[in-house]
Amino acid sequence: MMQETTTRPSFIIETKDLSIIYGDGHEGVKHVSMGFQERNVTAIIGPSGCGKSTLLRGLNRMNELIPGTRTLGEVWYSNKNIYGPSVDPVVIRRHIGMVFQKPNPFPKSVYQNIAWAAKAHGYSGNMDELVENSLHKAALWEEVKDKLKKSALALSGGQQQRLCIARAIALQPDVILMDEPTSALDPIAASYIEDLISELRKDYTIIIVTHNMQQAGRISDNTAFMLLGDLIEVGPTKKLFIAPEDERTERYLTGRFG
Amino acid sequence: MPREAFERSIEEINARITAMGAATVDALQKAMFAFRERDLDSAKKIKKADVLIDIQQLEIDDLIATTMATQQPVAKDLRLLLCAIQMASDLERGADYAAHLAKATKFFVQEPQWRQTEILEQMANIGASMITGTVNAFIGRDAQLARQTSLLDDQIDHLHKGLIKEMVLLLGTRPDDAEKVTKFIQVSGYLERLGDHMTNACESILYMIEGIHVELNT
Repeated sequence: MMQETTTRPSFIIETKDLSIIYGDGHEGVKHVSMGFQERNVTAIIGPSGCGKSTLLRGLNRMNELIPGTRTLGEVWYSNKNIYGPSVDPVVIRRHIGMVFQKPNPFPKSVYQNIAWAAKAHGYSGNMDELVENSLHKAALWEEVKDKLKKSALALSGGQQQRLCIARAIALQPDVILMDEPTSALDPIAASYIEDLISELRKDYTIIIVTHNMQQAGRISDNTAFMLLGDLIEVGPTKKLFIAPEDERTERYLTGRFG
Repeated sequence: MPREAFERSIEEINARITAMGAATVDALQKAMFAFRERDLDSAKKIKKADVLIDIQQLEIDDLIATTMATQQPVAKDLRLLLCAIQMASDLERGADYAAHLAKATKFFVQEPQWRQTEILEQMANIGASMITGTVNAFIGRDAQLARQTSLLDDQIDHLHKGLIKEMVLLLGTRPDDAEKVTKFIQVSGYLERLGDHMTNACESILYMIEGIHVELNT
């Protein structure tokens, strides 16, 4: 028999038959098996309630913070199932960080926002350097370098969101999960974040949930479409937006439902 | 209804492509008539009709650009608009060839009827069928009709090649008519290229319907 020679893309995270069930018995994510390519942007799209944010939170065990939620199946990261018995979710969340829809800086200084999170996770290196590097990577340094001691809450919404990204970066993650990171921002602030995502993909794997299909089209390499908890289709964004394979994807993208 | 504006745009694009197709068929048939009858007045009218068809193309392009900018279509909708741009462009080229055919009339005004004009007429008739079939395939989103229509291009090509052979033989016997023979070959070439453009349009219809690039009649 011939050896199979097809090359598989390298996945940094891979779900296997992942189901996430809420306390009321509602199955938010149903038997999803998919891989996320390293140093790529993957967008998850779908109508409200399709399970995209639930899936995202399932990738770093954030659903456990919702009482009654059960997770079945596996999520493989760094050669282990993150739902395995000996895995510390806090460690997982350091490696697989998250940025939320609404910017949520701590009510502390710009500097402390980054330093606190790093310190809490045991960082003992040069803190000034870490803060500056993280802010540089989040394309925020030039705007805040003279305001490091000022309250983070005094920054604009877009700056606060980039600060949250800097905070996630300070933990030196491999993966950054983003749950509609621009939906609370004006178009210009959103475009800064989009540019930043394109820059960050050189060093990190980004998985983003978005309601904005044009945004998914602009910034992602791959797109996954979900509907009623099912993963309907996943593939290169260009392919999905021009010639999707599944009729349901076609109908959603062209606004025939959702 | 979220898609109402988009559907309205598509209806208008369909109507305009249909009108452009009809105008192109009309121009082709009239050009062939002018050429056959050595009718310079009719030939001049084709030039005017061509200008109007050029305007039709620009209007369709504008409509598509507006639809793209305001509706930001994807998937099937995007492919439909890309196809409509290609359709308008190929129809415009088809009308250009009709105008070239009409313009060639003046070279033959003093000439008695050439027997080979019948071949040109056959080519023009097939060309007109191709235009009609292409437009109908676009409007009906009919992949089978697009494939069938593209096959007609083989018939045009066959007639064109046969005509060239005849013309080359004619050159040997009537060297003084070299310029007119060359012009006649050119006219046949216009009709041959018209067939190619309709084949292109059929390919873009298949892309619209099936989402894959298909090379027809290679």
